[in-house]
Amino acid sequence: MASLMTSRVIFNPVLRKTVKLIFSKELRNYQCCIRANKYALPVINYVRLYASEKKVYSREKPHCNVGTIGHVDHGKTTLTAAITKVLADKRLAEAKGYTDIDNAPEEKARGITINVAHVEYATDSRHYGHTDCPGHADYIKNMITGTAQMDGAILVVAATDGAMPQTREHLLLAKQIGVNHIVVFINKVDAADKEMVELVEMEIRELLSEMGYDGDNIPVIQGSALCALEGKNPEIGAQAILKLLDEVDKHIPTPVRELDKPFLLPVENTYSIQGRGTVVTGRLERGILKKGMECEFVGYNKVLKTTVTGVEMFHQILEEAQAGDQVGALVRGVKRDDVKRGMVMCKPGTVKACDQVEAQVYILTKEEGGRSRPFTSFIQLQMFSRTWDCASQVTIPDNKEMVMPGEDTKLVLRLMRPMVLEKGQRFTLRDGSLTLGTGVITNILPALTDKERQSLTEGKKAREQRLKAEQQ
Amino acid sequence: MFSGNIIRFIHVGYTVFNASNKTLLSKLRKQTGYTFANCKKALELNDYNYSLAEKWLQDQAQQLGWSKATKLEGRITAQGLVAVGMEKNNAVIVEVNCETDFVARNKNFSSLVELAATTCLNHTASVPVGSHLSRFQLDAEILKSLKVHDGKTLSDHLALVIGKVGENLSLRRATCFHAADGILLAGYAHPSPNFQSSVLLGKFGAVVAYQADSPSQSDTKLRENLSVDEIGRQLCQHVVGMNPVKIGEVGQDTPANNPDDESCMIYQEYLLDPSQTVGEMLASTSISVLDFARYECGEELLENTENNSSKVAVEIGG
Ligand SMILES: Nc1nc2c(ncn2[C@@H]2O[C@H](COP(=O)(O)OP(=O)(O)O)[C@@H](O)[C@H]2O)c(=O)[nH]1
Ligand SMILES: [Mg+2]
Repeated sequence: MASLMTSRVIFNPVLRKTVKLIFSKELRNYQCCIRANKYALPVINYVRLYASEKKVYSREKPHCNVGTIGHVDHGKTTLTAAITKVLADKRLAEAKGYTDIDNAPEEKARGITINVAHVEYATDSRHYGHTDCPGHADYIKNMITGTAQMDGAILVVAATDGAMPQTREHLLLAKQIGVNHIVVFINKVDAADKEMVELVEMEIRELLSEMGYDGDNIPVIQGSALCALEGKNPEIGAQAILKLLDEVDKHIPTPVRELDKPFLLPVENTYSIQGRGTVVTGRLERGILKKGMECEFVGYNKVLKTTVTGVEMFHQILEEAQAGDQVGALVRGVKRDDVKRGMVMCKPGTVKACDQVEAQVYILTKEEGGRSRPFTSFIQLQMFSRTWDCASQVTIPDNKEMVMPGEDTKLVLRLMRPMVLEKGQRFTLRDGSLTLGTGVITNILPALTDKERQSLTEGKKAREQRLKAEQQ
Repeated sequence: MFSGNIIRFIHVGYTVFNASNKTLLSKLRKQTGYTFANCKKALELNDYNYSLAEKWLQDQAQQLGWSKATKLEGRITAQGLVAVGMEKNNAVIVEVNCETDFVARNKNFSSLVELAATTCLNHTASVPVGSHLSRFQLDAEILKSLKVHDGKTLSDHLALVIGKVGENLSLRRATCFHAADGILLAGYAHPSPNFQSSVLLGKFGAVVAYQADSPSQSDTKLRENLSVDEIGRQLCQHVVGMNPVKIGEVGQDTPANNPDDESCMIYQEYLLDPSQTVGEMLASTSISVLDFARYECGEELLENTENNSSKVAVEIGG
């Protein structure tokens, strides 16, 4: 997110003009802030950027991220190109050629190189970000960095082949990256006869059910991406694409916008302003913040409840601030020393601090700025998330002995003290000045016992002795 | 009236016929796993006789695999698996590639890699070897021609799996070790997949050949904690993790200035206990490393390195 904001400040002159300081002189060193827009973040940021450049996209429509999965050759890239073409004809997208998508340059997200093609388009009802990746590892990296967290997937199956043995692995991946909604496109029906297509549909439904999806009710659309792309046989071409998009519109739910969630503000700075009290500043991550709202500060073993007595931005007192806004909040009866950077200010009861989590983490290669050598369990790393950082002990589950640079892996992280952590929250792990990995929380684990917390700081020898003693 | 009946009869008869064909097609597909297009062809060529169609498919599988293989030839295979196979005094490390990491995770592919490794092991056992430690390379051409226990070649099996998974696959390289009495071999693959297999499978693999002298008084302490086998395995893990270029020799090689750039195994920090170097660990346990091989799936290879195979077994070490 930070990088997105920065790039906007640099590249968008209109927005640059709106950069102002808040709370006037007291906050001389206060960083640049900008009014981000009022829709969900980070998605809309991105939409807006484009919206100013390309008229075709409407910023008013809800946003949804989808992606194509399926066997090489079954037509994922052709389908992606066909979707943009069919929608370009309706002036809802910019047509992308097959080769533009296939030769998309590698992307860098949070320092990680990802082989991915991102395409945008809109239907009458929604705006879409569309992801097409060649490999399992790329989808995982995409999930970890959160560049385009897929809300749903289009599984492409060629009628000529049917499901492939590795379709199982495709569906396992979808499960792993949290894709709960799938729409199937049976492609290449121009090259198969009707009964084959019917059998492929039956088979894919069976497989989906077996893999834990609702195989009987998942929409399955038959068509030919190639015909659509070449403007031939509209009934299996363009019309099939529109039908597919219609099912995607209907079947894949719009994710809850950040704006619609209970408010949350990671505290960046705190100031004591004479005659007014304590002000906390930061970017409102979600929800709406208004004067008079009850709030809670969570973090560093503390939970402090109070009331917001004022919301300000750009020197001005605001009626309300919205997700994405860089704001200052005046809070009642709190001393400046009671709250500090790293805490979270939120709607009371909506978040908890915890000290043990499970996460999916990508370990950077040396070329990406990471380490050159693997690490083993019990390594101590500094975990950075939102506005806090905390020492944590890393263990590798599943009897895996080490993790090599360039790998993605499940890790268990134990923090020296409880911090606000939620499922889906992103973080980085650093070893001194090196960024070793970047990850996303997948599970909150039970809080550490006192004994477990004590063991976090013990040395290797002590640990080995203890483990040996415990075994006996 | 009369003709109407006939028409209805024919109509009904036609759909019944069609429906049963569909059942046959569906059954054949389920049983054999071949593509719908091929199953359909099999039925059509055999008048919708199920068993004849099935037999035709089995007979054709090889040919279909080959034609698919020919079609996909030349497509880049940068993913795959490394297998490490060990049996008695033989060890092999093999790399087989595919196009996507989805296929690399699929059972059809991993079984093929296991087969490649066991075939290389059998081959190693059959090659006359010297008295110490023999090491030789097998390149793609030799790998393809190796005979599997069923009489087919490895490339026949490769083509069969190409027919199934519809991706280009390639047998890339193998390194084989044969050790005389007194020389030990250890193997390791990383990360190990979450299923059982007859060989070790992963993205990285290593084989280490080493010797363990009878421990002196002072060594018994370390040997108490870890068996010689376990030390061998950990040495392999070190090779995978720390990627040494050579073993190195005290006196001939000098340690690098920055320990992170150290490429001589003996001067590297020991991965499993960075408080000592590999050399120190070896000295304290009376173990000596004779040779090692490390594979990383998809890694670029320099020309004229060990990938240039020699069919002749080379004598190494003492
Ligand atoms: N006959 C036919 N061929 C298609 C269709 N869609 C894609 N193809 C072809 O299938 C091949 C693979 O398509 P591609 O989009 O690259 O597949 P991907 O590997 O899944 O991205 C290309 O040669 C396409 O022209 C279709 O609807 N009908
Ligand atoms: Mg493609």
